[in-house]
Amino acid sequence: MSAVDITPHSPEKTSMSIRSVINNAGIGIALLLMILFFSVASEHFLSANNITNILTQITINLVLAVGMTFVILIGGIDLSVGSVMAFAAVVAGKAITLPGLGATELIILAVLAGVLAGMVCGILNGVVSAYWSLPSFIITLGMLNIARGAALQISGAQTIYSFPFAFEEFGSKLIYGVPVVFLVALTLVVIAWFVLNRTVFGRLIYGIGNNEEAVRLAGHPVFWYKVAAFSICGLTAGIAAIIYMARLNISSPIAGIGFELNAIAAVIIGGTSLSGGRGSVIGTLLGAFIIGVLANGLILIGLSDFVRQMITGLVIVIAVILDHYRAKYSAS
Amino acid sequence: MTASPLLSVSALRKSFGGIHALDGVSFELEPGEVHALVGENGAGKSTLIKVLSGVHLFDAGDITLDGAPYRPASPHAAKLAGIQVVHQEFNLLNDLSVAENISIEAMPKTRLGLLDRGEMNRRARTALDAIGLSDVDVTTPVRQLGIAHRQLIEIARALQSESRILILDEPTATLTERETERLFEIVAGIKAKGVTVVFVSHHLDEVFGICDRVTVFRNGETIATREIADVTPADVVRFMVGRTLEEAQHAGSETHLGAEIALRVDGLRTTANPTGTPVSFELRRGEILGIAGLVGAGRTEVLRAIFGADPKLDGQVELGGQPVQITGPRDAIAAGIGFVTEDRKEEGLILDMPISANSSLVDLGTISRRGLLNFGKEREMAAQGGARLKLKYGKLSDHAASLSGGNQQKVVLAKWLAKTPKILLLDEPTRGVDVGAKAEIYGILRDLVAQGMSMIVVSSELPELITLCDRIMVMAGQEIQGTLARADYSQERILHLAYGQTQTDERIPA
Repeated sequence: MSAVDITPHSPEKTSMSIRSVINNAGIGIALLLMILFFSVASEHFLSANNITNILTQITINLVLAVGMTFVILIGGIDLSVGSVMAFAAVVAGKAITLPGLGATELIILAVLAGVLAGMVCGILNGVVSAYWSLPSFIITLGMLNIARGAALQISGAQTIYSFPFAFEEFGSKLIYGVPVVFLVALTLVVIAWFVLNRTVFGRLIYGIGNNEEAVRLAGHPVFWYKVAAFSICGLTAGIAAIIYMARLNISSPIAGIGFELNAIAAVIIGGTSLSGGRGSVIGTLLGAFIIGVLANGLILIGLSDFVRQMITGLVIVIAVILDHYRAKYSAS
Repeated sequence: MTASPLLSVSALRKSFGGIHALDGVSFELEPGEVHALVGENGAGKSTLIKVLSGVHLFDAGDITLDGAPYRPASPHAAKLAGIQVVHQEFNLLNDLSVAENISIEAMPKTRLGLLDRGEMNRRARTALDAIGLSDVDVTTPVRQLGIAHRQLIEIARALQSESRILILDEPTATLTERETERLFEIVAGIKAKGVTVVFVSHHLDEVFGICDRVTVFRNGETIATREIADVTPADVVRFMVGRTLEEAQHAGSETHLGAEIALRVDGLRTTANPTGTPVSFELRRGEILGIAGLVGAGRTEVLRAIFGADPKLDGQVELGGQPVQITGPRDAIAAGIGFVTEDRKEEGLILDMPISANSSLVDLGTISRRGLLNFGKEREMAAQGGARLKLKYGKLSDHAASLSGGNQQKVVLAKWLAKTPKILLLDEPTRGVDVGAKAEIYGILRDLVAQGMSMIVVSSELPELITLCDRIMVMAGQEIQGTLARADYSQERILHLAYGQTQTDERIPA
């Protein structure tokens, strides 16, 4: 992972990285043990084909979870990303099937329209919850319904299909067995890591999650940072919508139901605190992998999808309990 | 004194970290008396109450209740022993009814184990009638009642279980005069039933109005216990102040005082003071202006309004002769104002972030370019700020939470100094800071004004203000009561103004 490869030089930075490595190590070790277990239990697990499968399956959740990490870091939550993804997909689907344009123009138009649609939803979430200091839980619950309704209304509850060939190709293309869409998700992780760890913006995102009042009194426009965090979450929902369309070659207004919960689960399993201020996008990456590997592996060793769901739930609970102890340990 | 006190406290000690909150407290409670505890903020009254009510364990000393040793391990144990406290902050559940609140500690049950609503309401009725609150319906949600009634309901709750000692912690702080009178009638009734009342108040007129005896606290010690009949309010103030402070702790060199006015505040009204006299004052370049006053006198509100942390209702702020519009902290910082807040954990520090990140929080522009952080520069800034303030730390990447109180406060200072403000507002700059660090912080502040910075310091510790400030402005009831020049400093004079002694005559009618 290129994100953790940045080698620290000074002792100060080393200790900082070591701490974050230790924080992430637990999740990493859990993931490695899981991979070890499944590769022993099932001969197919480590096959090239199956690895490609896993990477494809986690891509959309990973993209959504990257945006969700920003919102959870400021102490918020976004329940609307599944619906917003469907809304963005329908908007992009309408754009990409416009008559009278060439394939390249259509694809560019669709990507812009989808991403913009997602961002608009995110901005609304952010402005409303930050301006009136309302719990984002409720505001995004509202958006969950609004965006879903809008998706159904715009599409006439019909699935949109027949996209340009180049677009469909992008969704299924592999480079050395790695899906291109996964590489897109991985790029987002790297960018998010950079923004959160190397920029003033990221510093203040963590700061707001830890102590909003201290950040406000230091003269920083907390309102706009909150809006930005929700906008990023909407943006990633828009990107997820494009990837979803490219992979399945359709855009459906009923796509993405329950996706918000998987995205939140990835962030939480990745060690980001629900109360904000603590966590990392590398953790989110590992969290998305844990969910994906569990889903894939449990099916491979012959367990039913219902059992898989129970085990995934159990992992979320365990992750939060572990996080409780980690918070206690780091406080003392 | 009669032979058998109800409660006897002797040589009680309790410290938090290095701070001696109680440093030899001794007093006795007679059965059925109303006993006042008075003293400055931080003199130890609250800590004593917390020890008596089982919130804190004491370190050394003896407490006997009815001749038997008393060492409550929990608030519950204190209640079982018959000691009840009505706290300053309300502990009521606002959406439940009066009756539910009164019975919250032990809900009556029917034989089936269900809530016995009839019995609960009957008990509440009895409890309310006992203190003369016959006009309050027990099924009313607490939220619908006024502040005064809520306070009385707390008292009713405290009294319905077998109370022998009822401690009222500043019960009149939020009450109007009429409500206060009503409370006093109730206190008289409670006393008539043989309950001992401990009355903590900042208002000496109230103490002299209803109490039988008074014990004075100073710096964690009890200075004297007197029959109210034998003393005057002036005597009590003298006990609170203690020996006249050694003069000239301050170097006294006023050469740093510039002629220009650095800050002029004119007609300032805060939301806490919509109708009273507005606040106006001037701060000279290189001057340290102190604001004295009791908790709730309006000192913090003035600082927050100047800094734009809270919106102000009205008023002009001029910096160096130029009027400035400050609508938020951002404007204030841009105008060259810094604000070291009262509560460093809630408003000052990001505890879970490194020292370096905290030091740079106000001045992120200097350590970044086009939004990208320069960690090298940040560490440099933090190391310089740390060296300048003699900060004791392990590594700059350690979390701010790992530092001691004094060092945490230095980080907050460093954060503001990074931006070299022209005016620094400090609210309780040495709260929770040990003596050594305190002296260091004073030294730092003096150096800064010598270099031309101007400061406003709000403090509840009079010695601090007297040591540090060139002038002291005293506030009470959101208004300025008077301003003292260095030559006129005395704790007594400051306290007289802070306790609004000029208004005593208006407060006692009835």
